[in-house]
Amino acid sequence: MYQYNEQDQNLINARVEQYRDQTRRFLAGEIPDEEFRALRLMNGLYIQRHAPMLRIAVPYGLMNSVQIRKLADITRKFDKNYAHFTTRTNIQLNWPKLEQVPDILAELAEVQMHSIQTSGNCLRNTTTDHFAGIIPDEVEDPRPWCEIIRQWTTLHPEFAYLPRKFKIAVAGSTEDRAATQVHDIGLHLVQNDAGETGFEVLVGGGLGRTPVIGKVIRSFLPKHDLLTYLEAILRVYNLNGRRDNKYKARIKILVNALGTEEFTRLVETEWDIIRATETRLTDEHIARIKGFFEPQPYAADAVDGLAVLENQLADNQEFSAWYERNTRDHKVAGYRAVVVSLKPHLKAPGDITDVQLDAVADLADKYNFGEIRSTHDQNLVLAHVAAGDLYQLWQSLRDQNLARPNIGTLTDMIVCPGFDFCSLANAHTLTVSEQINQKFDDLDYLHDIGDIKLNISGCINACAHHHVAHIGILGVDKNGEDFYQITLGGSSREDASLGKIIGRAVPQADVANTIEKVLQVYIDNRTDDERFIETVRRIGVAPFKERVYAPVN
Amino acid sequence: MPLLINRVVTEDSWLLVDEDNLSTHLNEDIVVPYELFAAEQEQLLSAEGGLGIRINGDQDLNLVLQNLDKLSLVTIEFPAFTDGRGFSFARILRRSGYSGQIRAEGDVTRDRLEYMERCGFDAFAIPADRFDETMVNAFGEVSVHYQGCADDERPIFRQ
Repeated sequence: MYQYNEQDQNLINARVEQYRDQTRRFLAGEIPDEEFRALRLMNGLYIQRHAPMLRIAVPYGLMNSVQIRKLADITRKFDKNYAHFTTRTNIQLNWPKLEQVPDILAELAEVQMHSIQTSGNCLRNTTTDHFAGIIPDEVEDPRPWCEIIRQWTTLHPEFAYLPRKFKIAVAGSTEDRAATQVHDIGLHLVQNDAGETGFEVLVGGGLGRTPVIGKVIRSFLPKHDLLTYLEAILRVYNLNGRRDNKYKARIKILVNALGTEEFTRLVETEWDIIRATETRLTDEHIARIKGFFEPQPYAADAVDGLAVLENQLADNQEFSAWYERNTRDHKVAGYRAVVVSLKPHLKAPGDITDVQLDAVADLADKYNFGEIRSTHDQNLVLAHVAAGDLYQLWQSLRDQNLARPNIGTLTDMIVCPGFDFCSLANAHTLTVSEQINQKFDDLDYLHDIGDIKLNISGCINACAHHHVAHIGILGVDKNGEDFYQITLGGSSREDASLGKIIGRAVPQADVANTIEKVLQVYIDNRTDDERFIETVRRIGVAPFKERVYAPVN
Repeated sequence: MPLLINRVVTEDSWLLVDEDNLSTHLNEDIVVPYELFAAEQEQLLSAEGGLGIRINGDQDLNLVLQNLDKLSLVTIEFPAFTDGRGFSFARILRRSGYSGQIRAEGDVTRDRLEYMERCGFDAFAIPADRFDETMVNAFGEVSVHYQGCADDERPIFRQ
């Protein structure tokens, strides 16, 4: 992974001291609330329902064991012994003290971490595929490009006060695990007819109040032009995006208002002026950054573990169930990628304790070259585990309650913190995810239902991406009571689509029962190997609606 | 209103005029609001004194760009500190070859000075109640720059 040099380190150290001084001046009354709000948000600090919340950046979801141990330590010293992983692959601390944040940042800087631009109306953390670099059919590893973008976005002087937040995601293969089509900018690594690598560029996707799928504005951007093109898009947005209404300020609204063609024309006109400037990438820089993402030193004899593994799988059904759901192919024979489930029974999805963090760091050192990844679905990935180590790893993860075999199933939900923590939320989410967990605890049933994506957002801001879930649940407030609106048929993958509302919102007590009815319609209608989303697309929403709202006898 | 030019507190030598007193001061060093400039272009461009224009993010920068060689001052207004359009205005002015003064005015306070300077501003009119002499320390708080900008077009990989 990328290692800071002296300049990178100097930059974050200076940023810590700058923020320390900003905090000091705020506490001394020298900075008005509203102005400090913008400054602290740009450094990841929210004021929430109970306490401030600090969001720490995990650039493109990649960490090492030293960083994970530091995070564990920070949750002990400054918080309540746990942290929360988000859909931007970042980490949130729910109970830090505002006055202590500069000290937390100083500790993070020791392990090359920070919270720069994890919130606010600026360029946010760039995300990517959590299986980057290990997929057989990848055009190219997207992470070097994410690092190039990370550097360009960090403390960008011109784009720090955008109309609204701005998120970029990069995908390196035809499978899209980074929800690139619902980002402000989605970048797809592609090859042209000449065999050159470049990017397909999508703009104006997004969720929130106005969910939109991004539009392709350029089918092939030569790789050296990546940053100049991003600069052109951002300048057009910074100058033309709406600033009179925060709900109309995202780039998706601008793209829709101008039309894709006109928006593209503005970008290309600007790009013509700047494409040959110093910002154009050099071969040397690309090669230097790629050098940090070389393949791990895989053992040639890892394939020997396959025979052992086969016996272990045959002997242990529990292990076998975990292997089926929570591991996947690696391009190097004898290795597999392991998803560490942060979706245990009756615990907040995405949460992890200090003890679990330390354990994951140790396991990463022992079995995974010290590397840990966080995913868009709020889980962790150990991407390079030798076949012969899987059984021991599974046992250790199980001891830590990190091996629930539910990846990609109904209980692998994306859930925002909801009303319990968030000051924007209209409704609780954690109670609903608990209810669903209680109702659908039977493993055979879950595995029979198979691949399904269920997401729960506590308000219309859609932090849990309910619009692009196969089953989306949106919490709404009706005269002080929590109700839940259900959508079906969404996807954030390469076949991206927005879910359709099936009818009036249901009361909190009825959510799991409603989901059960929806699943029953699927079971009654599915053909052979048809996945839930495929059945919904084939038969439409009507049969589901009919069952859910059928009069009770 | 305290004025910083090139990081030094300086007396303002420019006079802001409106349509009522324009004729009195036509041949002095004057700053003209955008609408007045648009209306009185011919007269202003042939006057003897220095000429400045005051513009905000809602107005058309092209009018300024078309007259760059006649202008010695461009004042960019920030109606709110969150309005980032001025940063791009300054950047575009500098890349178009403009070397006169670019002044930030309005909601201009310490924690944006460094970014503004990088984008090409060299003058800052700061509300008196938000001014103090230690503000100049804001420049260069973070000396490592990943991106090229108006102060140095080279990004870190070309430095």
